[in-house]
Amino acid sequence: MNLSNVISGFFIILALTTNFGFFYGDPTILEEHSKYELFAAIIFNLIATIYKLGDKTQIGAVLLATSLVADIQLVASASVWALGAYVVGMNPEIVTAIISLSGGALAANIVSVVLFVGETIKSKR
Amino acid sequence: MDNTALFLIIRRLRLPMFVLIVTFAISILGLTLIPGQDDQGNVYHMTFFDAFFFVSYMASTIGFGEAPYTFTYPQRLWVSFSIYMTVIGWFYAIGSIIALMQDKILSSQLAILQFQKKIKSLKSPFIIFVGYNLLTKNIIHKLSEEGIQSVVIEKDESKIDEMVLASYMLEIPAMHGDINDPEVFQIAGISKPECKAIVSLSSNDNLNLHAAMSAKLLNSKVKVIVEATHDEYADNLNTIGIEIVENPFKFIAKRFYMALRAPSLLMLERWIYDEPFKLDPRDLLPTQGKYIVCGYGRMGKAIRIALKRAGMEYLFIETNPKKVRQMREGDRQIVMGEGQDRKILLDAGVKDASCIIAGMNDDFINLSIIMAARKINPSIFTVARQNNIHDQSVFNAAKIDRVIVVQNLLINQTFIAIARPLSERFLQMIKNMGAEWGDGLAMALKEVIGENPLKKETEIIDKHAHALCRHIKEVGPVPLYVLYRNRGDYNLNNKIVALYLKRGEEEFLMPDSSMELQLGDKILFAGDDEAFDDLEYIMQNIYELHYVLQGESCEVSLSCKLHLEA
Repeated sequence: MNLSNVISGFFIILALTTNFGFFYGDPTILEEHSKYELFAAIIFNLIATIYKLGDKTQIGAVLLATSLVADIQLVASASVWALGAYVVGMNPEIVTAIISLSGGALAANIVSVVLFVGETIKSKR
Repeated sequence: MDNTALFLIIRRLRLPMFVLIVTFAISILGLTLIPGQDDQGNVYHMTFFDAFFFVSYMASTIGFGEAPYTFTYPQRLWVSFSIYMTVIGWFYAIGSIIALMQDKILSSQLAILQFQKKIKSLKSPFIIFVGYNLLTKNIIHKLSEEGIQSVVIEKDESKIDEMVLASYMLEIPAMHGDINDPEVFQIAGISKPECKAIVSLSSNDNLNLHAAMSAKLLNSKVKVIVEATHDEYADNLNTIGIEIVENPFKFIAKRFYMALRAPSLLMLERWIYDEPFKLDPRDLLPTQGKYIVCGYGRMGKAIRIALKRAGMEYLFIETNPKKVRQMREGDRQIVMGEGQDRKILLDAGVKDASCIIAGMNDDFINLSIIMAARKINPSIFTVARQNNIHDQSVFNAAKIDRVIVVQNLLINQTFIAIARPLSERFLQMIKNMGAEWGDGLAMALKEVIGENPLKKETEIIDKHAHALCRHIKEVGPVPLYVLYRNRGDYNLNNKIVALYLKRGEEEFLMPDSSMELQLGDKILFAGDDEAFDDLEYIMQNIYELHYVLQGESCEVSLSCKLHLEA
């Protein structure tokens, strides 16, 4: 067992699950989505990203790319939230944008986990 | 491309960045959870944005004050805890990033990447030099003046720095690497079709052999030029098919012999090396009398061969008993002792010897030998070996008749082997010719061309000889003498002679002027400026070629006539 694999696997899965936790709920009602969950999703996605840095393999490069996509979408989601809260005011468009951006990040995270699991299955012990 | 080290270094960024993100996350989360008080005394919770904003300037120690409202004590408690946590995390991350930037491995990786980029962008033929020393420095200098690109592989980084300071006409990419790693040759571009030659002129034969072998294995088309002063190494190199093995002591032997028995060949050789086409009395050696040679090392052995072949009387003086024994096996003309010792010199018969040769590998011993010999016999012809190029001024001041600089010979030889391949072959061929042949050629050159003939190498290919190639392809063969004709009057011949012609694997020394030219022929000419001018016109320009072939201007177009009249 390689400890660094455990750590990176842990953060990759955690990034997906926290992302899903935030995304789950009615996309038009912001109250069904916790800001703490978005915060956790951003932090865990960033950590997952740094654990994918410096991997020379092809699969490592693709994993890093998916993680970067998720980061960008989640940070965009948080930025839109701040924009709505402080600048333009909350309206249904802003709310759906916040949720759907995190939905995009969720898709990227799913791809990332699928690749990660596939890679694990492929390696013969 | 192998940049494993680069990935290892990026990997090292993981921990600092992890620490940075975690400390930020904990502080931000704490701030949003702890209740505060706004200016009206209402309880409020900081939003994530407020907390992120505050932590960002807190952690980087910028510090704009408490925002958006003055903090309550529970908040301050948390902030004072997070200041220490985030500031330490921040400094740790920044410190590691800066340390990585200065990392030796990273900077050497970056240097290799830059070098690779330079090699990749090289579109002209280039030469790889293994090792940067005085010899290669001079050769690179000469080559860059000719516009030939060089690339350097050097083990010692300080020499690369030195190289940057020496300003060449061209930018010379240099790489820090050890040729024991074949990858280094690959990075230097040995497999590129533009790579024409590998040169290794280290004083260490072993290293040269190593460089030659790996170069030949990696790219069999590349020309390998190496120095080998020991015969065993030279044999090894010849068996693996290295074309040019340079033994400076063999050159010296050859030159000694030529100076004694075939001065015109020596003159021709010096002329090929771009020296004037004449012989100084100082270049000649006394052809009679006894030779006294100090030192029976690599140089002494070479001189002995030359003297023996020339049939001269000689005597060696050597300090090392082992070498004395070695020579005594076949030849008794050796005494043991120090060359600068007056008694030994007297015993050796310096008084009535005609020439003394100081061939030790120490410059100051050589100088003192010369001084001592001259004191006994002021009219003796003195020859000294100069080992270090930097000792030039001392040797000049000593007024020695002939100074042999081993390095200079190697520089000249390597330069023509790279930049003037035809001249190099010509030299190889003439050295087996006798003195009479050389006299004949030297006389003929002086007669036809004059006191100061020039050389030119050319090739019958479309790039250099458009008109000629077209004519040979479409009309028929052109004899060599057509190229000698004068552009003004085709009945007259220019001052020009072909010395050497190479056709595929066939070689012709002094080709007959009625020989028919073929595409791809490579020719070495001797002539004057005017003749070379005409030669270029005749080869390139259809109308000029037509004129010298037919003896009449072609009546094709007005522009042609205008061209001829002008």
